Amino acid sequence: METLINGLKTNHAFAITSFLVLLLVVIALAAPLIAPYDPLEATMQNAYLAPSAEHWFGTDKLGRDNFSRVLYGAAYSLSSVLLLVAIIFMVGTTLGVLAGFYGGRVDVVIMRVADMMISFPGMILAIAIAGILGGSLFNAIVALTVVTWTKYARLARSMVLKVKKRDFVEAAIVNGGTSTHILCRHILPNILPLMLITAASDIGAMMMELAGLSFLGFGSQPPAPEWGLMLNEGRQQLQTAPWLMFFPGLAIFITVVIFNLWGDALRDVLDPRQEE
Amino acid sequence: MKKLAKLTAALAMIGLLAFAAAGCGGGEEKSAAATGDMVKIGVTNFADSLEPTDNFFGWVVMRYGLGECLVKFDDKMNSAPWLAESWSISDDKLTWTFKINDKATFSNGNKVTAAAVKSSLERTFAMSNRAPTFFEYASITADGQNLMIKTTRPVPTLPGMLADPLFIIVDTSVTDRDYAKQGPICTGPYMVKEYSKAKAVMEANPNYWDGAVPFKHAEIPTIDDPNTRAMALQSGEIDCAVNIAAGDLELFRDSDKYNISEIASLRTVLAQINMNEGHPCHDPKVRAALISCLDRETYNKVLLKDTFISGKAPVPPSLDYGFDQLVDPNTYNVERAKQLLAEAGWQDTNGDGYVDKNGKNLELDFVYYSGRAELPLYAEATQSDAKKVGIKINMRNVDYNVLDPIRQKGDFDLCISNILTANSGDPEVYLNWYWKTNVNGSQPQNSTGYSNPEFDALSDALAVEFDPAKRRELMIKMQQILLDDGAALFFGYPKTNMVSKTTLKNANILPADYYWLTKDVAPAKL
Repeated sequence: METLINGLKTNHAFAITSFLVLLLVVIALAAPLIAPYDPLEATMQNAYLAPSAEHWFGTDKLGRDNFSRVLYGAAYSLSSVLLLVAIIFMVGTTLGVLAGFYGGRVDVVIMRVADMMISFPGMILAIAIAGILGGSLFNAIVALTVVTWTKYARLARSMVLKVKKRDFVEAAIVNGGTSTHILCRHILPNILPLMLITAASDIGAMMMELAGLSFLGFGSQPPAPEWGLMLNEGRQQLQTAPWLMFFPGLAIFITVVIFNLWGDALRDVLDPRQEE
Repeated sequence: MKKLAKLTAALAMIGLLAFAAAGCGGGEEKSAAATGDMVKIGVTNFADSLEPTDNFFGWVVMRYGLGECLVKFDDKMNSAPWLAESWSISDDKLTWTFKINDKATFSNGNKVTAAAVKSSLERTFAMSNRAPTFFEYASITADGQNLMIKTTRPVPTLPGMLADPLFIIVDTSVTDRDYAKQGPICTGPYMVKEYSKAKAVMEANPNYWDGAVPFKHAEIPTIDDPNTRAMALQSGEIDCAVNIAAGDLELFRDSDKYNISEIASLRTVLAQINMNEGHPCHDPKVRAALISCLDRETYNKVLLKDTFISGKAPVPPSLDYGFDQLVDPNTYNVERAKQLLAEAGWQDTNGDGYVDKNGKNLELDFVYYSGRAELPLYAEATQSDAKKVGIKINMRNVDYNVLDPIRQKGDFDLCISNILTANSGDPEVYLNWYWKTNVNGSQPQNSTGYSNPEFDALSDALAVEFDPAKRRELMIKMQQILLDDGAALFFGYPKTNMVSKTTLKNANILPADYYWLTKDVAPAKL
């Protein structure tokens, strides 16, 4: 925590991107307050209106306000992507730590399963899983979790193996520390920063993949104001109502850029190797 | 200095991207049709097989210029000669005699005799459970080029029924073919060389019996996405596209470059309503509420930009079956819908915005497919309007190939389709298919549990009625019953179109949309 506050003071890039991330979160949370219209309310007489003072981003095929939908989409897309990253982080790290710490059979089973998952192309496997489960946001999150947890498991395992050989762990073992104690007090604190950095810099990529699944129809279903889904809906009117693709696309672009930059800056601040 | 270098690099990157994007636009305007031996048509295709008796796949066999029937429909939906050059009916109204055109040959050179036609028709009846819903025969006999069909009871529209692609004439003497992939041996101007759902590659039938075939080669790529189809036509990748979406039609208004053939079709977009026991729509009040909460006029006028006519009755106004005199009791009226729901005992007791009864929300599964651009739009508009009265619509987007099984199993609450209403030249078959009581699978398309003895009685009377004026009256009465019962949700009637480059001629869409690539579609300059 101290490092983070220090980072905010000394690292300008981190300060700025953190502010932008905060801004995004605030926008997402405040969407119901800012949005001029209900994102689901269809005033069908007003379908396909071009951007104007009344409808900043135009209206979509059912006459819903595109600006409100993009705003609500921030809440929807952000919360789902954060949830997704959190799940992957927990599942992957837990399994990786278990494999690395206990070794033996546990290790073999977990890591061979992980190897199996890696031998498939990720997005294709995700599409297959989401396709079989049927299109819904929940299923898309499940699919991406199944595909992505291996990365965290492998990383966590290799770091646990490294830390396990350090003197203080040996000392703890000699002192009769229980497994739980060693794990929580000595190992986890040492691997967490790097895991968090990985998770933070993954947010952008995960957002793209989640939006991708929604775009293909495997993620959120209509009428949810999800950016990927909005892109897909706008695609039908690409030539006659381009604003329906432009604004959700722009929103995804900006969000992904902000999170990627923030992830990089966070690494600069947290990664111990940079300090040495 | 470092900053400047970075900036330059960024600018260069942007420049490259712009250049690459511009490159994508190049190389247009290479029209295949200009060479005179190849035509490419972009279509939507639902068939992964060319077996004409399976599903509705016969349509594809006919649309692609592969197969022909005894009879075809002209642009007024009159039955016109095709493989049969004339026909007549006996005095007892039971035996029809078709005279098969003496010139007609299959693409392998075999002559189309009455015996071959008999064998083909018998094959259809053996393989399709839909064939008996048209008519049932007592016997078929062949004598040279004369084919006699004796029916079990009078069938006034038999010639029109034989125009349905289900009754495509195939050469049954050829037994070593995989109909699904190679297609049957038929009599059409083109023969299939390679077929998959994604693309059909075809060549001219050297033994075509009805004049010269205009193109040596024809390709029909499947471009299911309407927007992509429009762009393929714009870029010159295809010479002709069937059904350009509502919003995109205005892109082709330049008559120097494109011909637009547009007509009010004989189709109806309708959602069947499952009213079997256990489904919420079992209650007529729920059905009435559902229908009257939908602002169908706005869907068609605004959302679909007037390319659809607003729905009301089963039969579209393009066919003269009393559209204007029919009365829809469930016109758009949100207040009435709410009241009907309340009367049926549905109230929003938990404040979640949806009405409920016995602790269960009023939820309806809406099955649709996205091969036709209007279907998802109608579905979403329905979802949005139904929510306003507290009905929750769960959308289920399915592949077309599973739609028909889902429909026949009745695994839905609402199931939307875009349906041709005049399979036999008039709407008799259509009305029977979807609403006549389904007794042990006698009407496999009617899985909704709809059954009205009054309707069935009229249908039985219609089946043996030869007088066109009386037939019309009967069908008007049948439609009014359906409207009063809230038997289905009639969204609208599409205008269909075929847009072709001016390098093609006679690429015209007909009311019966079995005919896309015909022998008449030819290069304009030859």
